[in-house]
Amino acid sequence: MLSPIIIGQVIVNGLSLSAIYVLIALGFTLLFGIMRVVNFAHGAFAMLGGYALYYLYGKYALPYPLAVPLAALIVAVLSLVLETLVFRWFYQKMFQSMIGLLGLNMALMFSSVIVWDVYERSIPPAFSGVLRLGGLILAADRLMVIGIAIIALLAFWLFMTKTRYGVAMRATADDVEIAEAQGIDTRTIYRLAFLVAIFMTALAGGLYAQIYALSPFMGERPLIVAFVVVILGGMGSIPGAALGGVILGFTESILSTFYGAAVSSFVSFGVVIALLIFRPWGLLGKPE
Amino acid sequence: MTDTTSETVRVGELGPTGAFERKAQDAGNHRVRNLLILAFVAFAALWPLVHENTFLLTMGTLVALSVIGATSLHLIIRTGHISFAHAGFMGVGAYVCVLLVMKLQLPFAVSLAGGAAAAAALALLIGPVVLRLTGKYFVLVTFLLGEIIRMVFVEWTSMTGGSNGIFGIPAPYPALAEPHAFYYFALAAALLCVGFCARILTSEVGRAMDSVRESERVAQCSGIPALQLKVTIFVIACALAGVHGALLAHFLHYVDPSSFGMVDSLNLVVMNVIGGMNHLIGPIIGSVFLTILPELLRGYVELQRVIFGIILIVVMAALPGGILELTARVRRLLASRRS
Amino acid sequence: MTRTAWKAATIAVALLAGTATTYAQEELKIGAIGSLSGGGTAWGLALQRGVTLAIDEATKAGGLKIGGKTYMPKLVMYDDQYTATGGKTAADRLVNLDKVKYIIGPIGSPPVLASVAVSSPAKVIQLSNGFAPAILKNDAKSPYNFRVMNSNVEFGPAMIKWLHKNYPAIKKVALIAPNDAVGQAVIPTLVEAYKANGIEVWTEMYDRGMKEFTPLLTRMMAQNVDLFDLNSNAPGEAGLLLKQARQAGYQKMIWQVGGPSVDEIINVAGPLADGFLSYETFDFSSPQAQAFDKAYHAKWDGIINAQAPGWYNAAKILFKAMETAGSTDVTAVRDALMKVEGYDSGMYGPVIWGGQADYGVAHQLLLPFWIVEVKNGKSTIRDKLTPEKR
Repeated sequence: MLSPIIIGQVIVNGLSLSAIYVLIALGFTLLFGIMRVVNFAHGAFAMLGGYALYYLYGKYALPYPLAVPLAALIVAVLSLVLETLVFRWFYQKMFQSMIGLLGLNMALMFSSVIVWDVYERSIPPAFSGVLRLGGLILAADRLMVIGIAIIALLAFWLFMTKTRYGVAMRATADDVEIAEAQGIDTRTIYRLAFLVAIFMTALAGGLYAQIYALSPFMGERPLIVAFVVVILGGMGSIPGAALGGVILGFTESILSTFYGAAVSSFVSFGVVIALLIFRPWGLLGKPE
Repeated sequence: MTDTTSETVRVGELGPTGAFERKAQDAGNHRVRNLLILAFVAFAALWPLVHENTFLLTMGTLVALSVIGATSLHLIIRTGHISFAHAGFMGVGAYVCVLLVMKLQLPFAVSLAGGAAAAAALALLIGPVVLRLTGKYFVLVTFLLGEIIRMVFVEWTSMTGGSNGIFGIPAPYPALAEPHAFYYFALAAALLCVGFCARILTSEVGRAMDSVRESERVAQCSGIPALQLKVTIFVIACALAGVHGALLAHFLHYVDPSSFGMVDSLNLVVMNVIGGMNHLIGPIIGSVFLTILPELLRGYVELQRVIFGIILIVVMAALPGGILELTARVRRLLASRRS
Repeated sequence: MTRTAWKAATIAVALLAGTATTYAQEELKIGAIGSLSGGGTAWGLALQRGVTLAIDEATKAGGLKIGGKTYMPKLVMYDDQYTATGGKTAADRLVNLDKVKYIIGPIGSPPVLASVAVSSPAKVIQLSNGFAPAILKNDAKSPYNFRVMNSNVEFGPAMIKWLHKNYPAIKKVALIAPNDAVGQAVIPTLVEAYKANGIEVWTEMYDRGMKEFTPLLTRMMAQNVDLFDLNSNAPGEAGLLLKQARQAGYQKMIWQVGGPSVDEIINVAGPLADGFLSYETFDFSSPQAQAFDKAYHAKWDGIINAQAPGWYNAAKILFKAMETAGSTDVTAVRDALMKVEGYDSGMYGPVIWGGQADYGVAHQLLLPFWIVEVKNGKSTIRDKLTPEKR
């Protein structure tokens, strides 16, 4: 079992899983970090991103590099309506947000069933080749996801540290009242953060739907993944999401390959529970 | 940032600072309440006589059984924690009871006690660790814990029959094979459970629970052993959930892991949230609502879920006391008009 | 003016008379249970649509002529949400509230087992489809309960025997299955069938809902297997397993003793699907399929789920049994069901009941099935097999 090829493949698999997980978790952690909202409707937004990409790329055949960000942007802009109607009520209310947004998740998921029916669709792949390096194999679409994940992380980091809006967002996250006293329009900042978070979620959802499958229920897995990654890394922390994604990706790759799927699920859930009990703020989060 | 120093979920804070609770203790409301309870019980008792239909009896039985689950979860909620693993404990009770009956041929009463004890034992094992957590982290932990319990039911095939479950479960007693008999049996169990919970909530313990929920530190300063109290309540509630699961399995004559997953835990939470989390009547209203409504709206399953979702949002955003608070608000509005 | 009024009145009378005659025919409620929400919805819809087509046909033919009376069948269907509780409630409602005497469905062991527990004591005929052997094999000997589709106990051994004959070089097979009711019921019987043909088996189960199988497939490839069987995986997962296996560099044979999910696999895996072999419940290229296809697409869009013709067939057999019995009495229809052997609904050839050896009761409908191969992105028939009557 422990041949160099397999170990190499485990690392490659871990890398590609990590990239997907990091992408999925970014929007979730941002909403929590800035607005203290646990977005249980995360999976629903990912699903909407999937349908948007399905129409733009699958149906209307827009060029891929344009279709991917445009699909996410459309979902994010349309979701601003939900920001006004729903999310606004739950800012800074972590507990209420969990249950209220579970409700939103249910409403969005079943509305999609009414609109799109339940059957699974597939979005045509943009790249279908595989990359061979020695004995190692990596599918081209996974390589693309790794690339997008790295770009997204860098862009996020630059935005949060180097731009006015990013700094304002962090200030708002630290203390709403003081931020307002400094002249920051927190309402606008919240809407901006919401827009960015949903954009990331829809982008990840589109890619997820393309690699796996698209259906109204596809969001369940991404929600759990985001949840686990974000708890691992620390709720609200962006480097934490990156670290959590890498840990989960590699754990899953190693455990599934050497011990099977059941062991992998038990261990990852068990570790997260243990972490919640002994270090609830996660590996890189801040204790409150 | 808003105040996060006290991190337990203050249910009272969700409502109009426990106003409803205090109001309910007014003498006038007391009589109204007693009358209402009496009417409700009478209605439930006479329910089978109204019609000849076994289907409606089945619905009645399912409502009665879910009242047990929902009110037991209510106990935990009243200590300031919301458990998303409650259906998991139901499952533990169900499987242990069924296995005792079917593998060891023990009498039903003994097996039921065994099921409840198993759920309680698991709660006792986990409680002291997870109840140290603040409200929101407790939600997250129980969310995953429920998943783990369900996964054990699925993976432990030699014992639980895996995803195919265990079928051919006999009626608890031959006499209870008859739907009317089982209905009254379930109703009696539900009333006992509600009575028991009411007794706890109105006693010294209930007041201690309220104080722990409102502020754990202040409660500790007044000499309440907060953690011990929370663990005790958690264990009792999980034992009751085990009873719910065991009765359900014997009613359906079938048990499988799909009845004890996240969705089922969520359902129990929704029953409490919709009905109102500040009063014991809340989960009872919620149980009736959530069991009957899907039947009335059959054929509109998707729409019904959409509506449930929207109700959850509205309740959490604007009406934290659930349906109960709605009636209280209407009453207040009427009163202010009159004056 | 008066003439127009007169005309209108005549038309109205004619219309009334028309409706009156339709009312003179008795309505016959056909109960159905299936998943109309949640993960199993595609199957529930296949059931609803298959039965609806059979009912439409009967209505178009002027109703069912049973013992000198004409009955208009009407579908009453409830959702089981693919759960045991849902199955029980739906059956309860059909039996006690709607007073139906015949139930078609549900699909999947948990709702089937729970609903049969309601329908059999109430003496209601149920035609269902779930893979758990216990659905037919029980102490009561399934008095009113029939299974109208092959389970893997029927098609598995026949397919594996065929494999062993055509590909004798295969020595080791990998089975990756969901740990749900279907997967856990199917794996033991498949393992047994492979071993009976001298093929070594490696199995792995995953939690339903999982979409990323690359690590598991890496694990599988380290086992040096000659064949990968997608067995009981749902269409979407089967497609992903195949695609990810090929992307991970697995080059040996892949087939599916189960499903069938050929269309979905071609859809998901594209050119990677070439060379894939599968169980197929229906020959969509046959002439009788064209008529079904046309009737289906006159009402609905999209790919026809492979279960739809099977449910159409089940409803047709039920109607035939009623006409043979000359009565809607449940026991008479039940006995007539056993006697309609040889009746052909036009989809699968003559009715054969089997299962005596496996379940102690011959209430298993034996349907012919096909082995298909994907060539250049198209499913082509390799062989037609029939389950053994035991």
